[in-house]
Amino acid sequence: MSRFIVPPYLLAHLAEADSPRLHRAPQAARNGLLAIEAVDRNATPPVVQSALGGEAVLERTIFDARGTEDLPGVRVRGEGEPATDDVAATEAYDALGATYALFREVYGRSSIDGAGLPLDATVHYGQDYDNAFWNGERMVFGDGDGEVFERFTASVSVIGHELTHGVTQYTANLTYQGQSGALNESVSDVFGALVEQHLFSQTVDQATWLIGEGLFTPEVQGRALRSMKAPGTAYDDDVLGTDPQPGHFDDYVETTDDNGGVHLNSGIPNRAFYLVAEALGGQAWLRAGQIWYDTLTGGTLAPDATFAQFAAATVEAATARYGADSDEARATSAGWQGVGVTPAA
Amino acid sequence: MKVTVSRSGGFAGLTRSWSVDVDAEPDTESWLVLIDRLPWSQAPGARQPTQPDRFVWVITADSRPTRKARLPEQQLTGPWRELVDRVRTTSEAEAGTTR
Repeated sequence: MSRFIVPPYLLAHLAEADSPRLHRAPQAARNGLLAIEAVDRNATPPVVQSALGGEAVLERTIFDARGTEDLPGVRVRGEGEPATDDVAATEAYDALGATYALFREVYGRSSIDGAGLPLDATVHYGQDYDNAFWNGERMVFGDGDGEVFERFTASVSVIGHELTHGVTQYTANLTYQGQSGALNESVSDVFGALVEQHLFSQTVDQATWLIGEGLFTPEVQGRALRSMKAPGTAYDDDVLGTDPQPGHFDDYVETTDDNGGVHLNSGIPNRAFYLVAEALGGQAWLRAGQIWYDTLTGGTLAPDATFAQFAAATVEAATARYGADSDEARATSAGWQGVGVTPAA
Repeated sequence: MKVTVSRSGGFAGLTRSWSVDVDAEPDTESWLVLIDRLPWSQAPGARQPTQPDRFVWVITADSRPTRKARLPEQQLTGPWRELVDRVRTTSEAEAGTTR
C-alpha cells in the first residue's frame, strides 16, 4: 500500500515528459516512482486479518504431488515458513508472491478474487508432465520431460500467466475458445509478463517480452514459448518446428486444435499490448497494464468478446482514465491498428 | 487399423501425435478389445472448452466407420487413458525415442 499522494500513473507521465519547461520534474518523478517501489518492496508482508479487516492477505501454501496426479498432494510449505531444499517448491512460492505483489501494489487487488483468496500450488505433478495449469482452485506444475521441457516453475511468467487465468475467471470470464479464448490467453501472457517485469523492475525496453523463457532444455533451439514483441520468433527447432504465432489479424489461424487456436491467436492481442506499452514507454504495468486491468475488471466485456470488442473496451478504459485526447488513449488505438484490429463501434 | 492420439493445447500450445497400426502389432487382439470397449458415443462434445492450459486429446481409430473422440485432459481417465498411454509407449518404442 503506497503512502504517496501523487498517483503512480501521474508520476509515470511526468517521468517521461520531454518539455523545455521541465528540468527537475521528470527526474523527481522518476525518483518518486523508485521510492514507491522501494517502500512496497520493503514493506513487511501483510498479516492475516480477521474477517472484519479490509486489509490485503497473502496466504501461500505449497504442496508436493510426488509424481502422482493426486491433488492437492502433501503440504510442504506454508506462508511465512522457511524455504525447503526443493527448488520447484521455492520457485512456486516466490512467484506466487510476485504475482500477488503486482496485483496488490499496482492495481489494488488482493489476490485472484480481490478478497484475499489463499494461493495454493502443487509441484511435481505427474510423470514427465509437460505442463502447468490453474484448475479453478489451485496452481499445478509438472516437472517437464527433461528432453524438451524443464520444470514449469522455472519461469515467473508461467506462474503469473496461470494465476491470471484465475483473475479472468473471477472478472471478465472470457470463454476459452476462438477469439475470446485467445483474448483470455493473451491477458494471461500480458499479466504474466508484467509480473516478471515488475519483479525485476524492468522498463519496456529492458524487458524481454518473452513468455516461458527458461522452460526449454538446452537441446531446443529457442529462447521461450512465445514472444509478445515479435510473435512467431520465440523458437525454431527441428523437432518442435517454428513458433506458429501470428502477430497480425490478417494471419488469424482457423483451427479446431487447441480450442480454436487460443495459444496461437493470442499473439495478435499480445503484440497489440506490446505496441501500446512501447508507445507509452517506462514501466509497462503502470499505464498499458492499468488500461488492460481496467478493461478486464470494468464489467463491460462479454464472455464471448471478439478482438474488436476487446479493443473497443481498452480504448474506452484508456479514455475513462486518461482522457479522450490523451497519449494513452491514442496509443491504445494505435496499438490495435498496428495488428489490424479495428475497435468495434 | 490405425489408431492415432493427438494432444494439443497445454501452456505451450503445441500439438503432438502418436500412431499405432494395430494390425501390425503382435497383440492385435488385445488392442481391438481395448478399442471396442471404449465408450466412443459418450465422449464429451467437440465444442466444449477445457480448463485453461489443459491438454485436449483427440483419439481416432480409422475403422469403418471412423471413430473419433475429443477429450479434455481431466476426462482422460480409465480405458481412454489406458489406450493413450499404450499408443504413446508403443509408438515411441517403435520410433526409438522416449519423447
